[in-house]
Amino acid sequence: MVEQLSFSLGGRELLHDISMEVEENIVCAVTGPSGSGKTTFLSLLNRLSEEEEGGEVCGRIRMVLDGKLVDIHRHLTPSMLRRKVAMVFQNPDPLPMSIRRNIAFPLRLRGWKRGKIAERTEEVLRMAHLYDEVKERLNIDARRLSGGPQQRLCIARALAGEPEILLLDEPTSSLDREAADKIETLIEELGKKRTVILVSHHEAQIKRVASQVWRMEDGRLSVVE
Amino acid sequence: MTRLIRAAAMVTGICTIAVFFMMLILGWPLFSHGHLLALLVGGWNPGSGQFGILPMIAGSTAIAGGALLVGTPLSLGVAFVTAVFARGRIRRVLLSCVRLMSGVPTVVYGFVALIYLVPFIRSQFHSGSGFSILTSSLVLGLLISPTMIVLFVSALDGVDPRARRAAAALGATPAQRLLYLQLSEALPGLLSGVVMGLGRAMGDTFISLMLAGNSINMPGGVLESARTLTAHIALVMAVDFHSLEFQSIYLCGFVLYLFTFMLVLILRAVNHRFQRGRVQ
Amino acid sequence: MKRFAELLLVIFSWLALLVFAASFLSIFVVLLLRVRGLDAVSLFFGDTPPVDALLHGLPVFDGIYPALLGTVSVVMVAVLCAVLPGIFTGIYLAEFAGPWAHRIVNLLVDVLAGLPSIVVGLAGFSFMVLLHNLFPGAPGPCMAWSALALGFLVLPYLVRTTETALQAIPAELRRTAPTLGATKVQNIFFVLLPFRAKDLLGGVILATGRAAEDTAVIMLTGVVASAPGMHSLFKQFEALPFYIYYMSSQYRDLAELQYGFGASVTLLLLCGLFFAAAFLLQSYVSFRFRGSSWLQK
Repeated sequence: MVEQLSFSLGGRELLHDISMEVEENIVCAVTGPSGSGKTTFLSLLNRLSEEEEGGEVCGRIRMVLDGKLVDIHRHLTPSMLRRKVAMVFQNPDPLPMSIRRNIAFPLRLRGWKRGKIAERTEEVLRMAHLYDEVKERLNIDARRLSGGPQQRLCIARALAGEPEILLLDEPTSSLDREAADKIETLIEELGKKRTVILVSHHEAQIKRVASQVWRMEDGRLSVVE
Repeated sequence: MTRLIRAAAMVTGICTIAVFFMMLILGWPLFSHGHLLALLVGGWNPGSGQFGILPMIAGSTAIAGGALLVGTPLSLGVAFVTAVFARGRIRRVLLSCVRLMSGVPTVVYGFVALIYLVPFIRSQFHSGSGFSILTSSLVLGLLISPTMIVLFVSALDGVDPRARRAAAALGATPAQRLLYLQLSEALPGLLSGVVMGLGRAMGDTFISLMLAGNSINMPGGVLESARTLTAHIALVMAVDFHSLEFQSIYLCGFVLYLFTFMLVLILRAVNHRFQRGRVQ
Repeated sequence: MKRFAELLLVIFSWLALLVFAASFLSIFVVLLLRVRGLDAVSLFFGDTPPVDALLHGLPVFDGIYPALLGTVSVVMVAVLCAVLPGIFTGIYLAEFAGPWAHRIVNLLVDVLAGLPSIVVGLAGFSFMVLLHNLFPGAPGPCMAWSALALGFLVLPYLVRTTETALQAIPAELRRTAPTLGATKVQNIFFVLLPFRAKDLLGGVILATGRAAEDTAVIMLTGVVASAPGMHSLFKQFEALPFYIYYMSSQYRDLAELQYGFGASVTLLLLCGLFFAAAFLLQSYVSFRFRGSSWLQK
């Protein structure tokens, strides 16, 4: 639930007075022309915008996490928030380690034990339809995978910590048709159990997976469907 | 013009090589006077014909080692804050300040330490004169810190920003990003920084000359006085040019040159080896 | 356990910063305190009237003006000597060297950068003595020798700055002049170098700063504790770093000690200015190591 959010960076207002309410457990798409602020908006939802210096935020963002309604700026630290709100980027960004350790990474942060991590790794790789493909080579460097599997790995990794909200920033735009298809199916599935906010400018993709569509133009948001 | 450019490079290279041969040739009488081994492991007693430079090698090693012990943790800590824990403007100010600190002249460190630190050490430890390995190591460690900090920060910053972003998006705090991602990724750069610091510490003359006491005996402990290879060169300059005693400084110069050469090679090896370990 | 380690890391780092900052602050505070009450005119000019010293070259016996002048002079001459070989070698490495030549010259520049300054000074001294033995009329220890040796010492700074500056030039810019008919050399001198003028200047100033603080080299090649008359290239001279060193062991009373502090502050300001100017000019701190060294002092 976003209320009257405005965001400025370096003196320029990038997002103007945005308000948005999203239901739980659906796939909500945000579309619009390049440069309209979609990625900026998304990065505000998990406060990743704060990693860069200088941004100013006005307005409130509240989410239902762990059954409670919280203001993400006042009740949580950025890292706590990001454990509940995961994000996948346009270009796959595997960590410079093995597939296994990529997935283990967020779990180690949360202090999970080795046994639980191994279990969850398999679980989450299956969810991402990646398990069969890589089960024999879990210890190879994740960067050696090709684009599609890499992105699915990033999604798996994002899912590992059991996030309640998943932010996807044009996850298929760097992939070929076949790989993109697989991921779209995955997104559909994921949307049933958690809230997914998808940024995309693929009309067909949005039609296929999203049940709520918003449009961002010049930093302003409006509902479409 | 091209010829001039090539010539300049040749001159630079030849002069550097010439220094090596100068040390070798001018120190030759000493080499042929006694076994090289005896010279390197023997004690210094010119009155009885002993020109061993082992005490000086020990002194240099001890003081440089001590400087690294002091300076590396200090520099790492400051680098961690600058590269990871501090935000935006603070970070920039910090980095600028650190860079500026690298401009403090060595003699100024020595002078201030001489007047203030030496008496302090003397009174704190009740043994010795205050001129000791400890005193020099402390000051030398501080002196090499700015250089090391800049190198460490550069190494930490050089870690792939996308990987850092990925870690952040997964909920890692800055400390966690540092511990579990940046440290391992930046390791070659960090090691290089330490090696550089070592080179710098071994090559320093005035901190040890002014603060370490310059005793010719093998140092027995951290509070004792010691003489470095570099200080020895400075001290023996006043002696008769043609004496064997004087020639010992060429031996010191020779050892220092070899040491520098070794460090350069090690640095290359560190970087090269870690480059090959990367998957792209 | 892990939480503890992470917390410890944060605490340790901030503590290190505290220690670091405190150490430097204490040095500066000490210097400032000890310089209080020091009369600048007598610090610089001793008993000699400033105007006479500055304009008529009257010798100054108890002031640091000759040392200041000596430092400035020797450093300027040193950098003048080193600029051409340094920049040209940098150009060579960036533009002309074949793979083997590049490796060898690179290695040698790295070695030179890492050599202890006293070894460079020793080499300079020995060369001077050798020359003197071969040609009895050759000059003994003097400013010229110090300048040459200092120039040799700071050569790597100039080489590295030039090389990295040139290497960082984007490919499109390199292609422009040649397509218009310029030769490689013309491209370098009329397009590439001017484009990087700021970084080059920064490198020169950095070299100047490094030369100003050095004590070992000049000590072995021409500097003395007292040379109050007019400076000349072929006479021995005074310099600030050596004055400070000399004063540290030879001061006879508090007044002289205070002069030592005064000289320290002066040298600190001088070097600080050089370094600050150099860093402001250089758009990109380019001392990366591809097996090449961050320059030693």
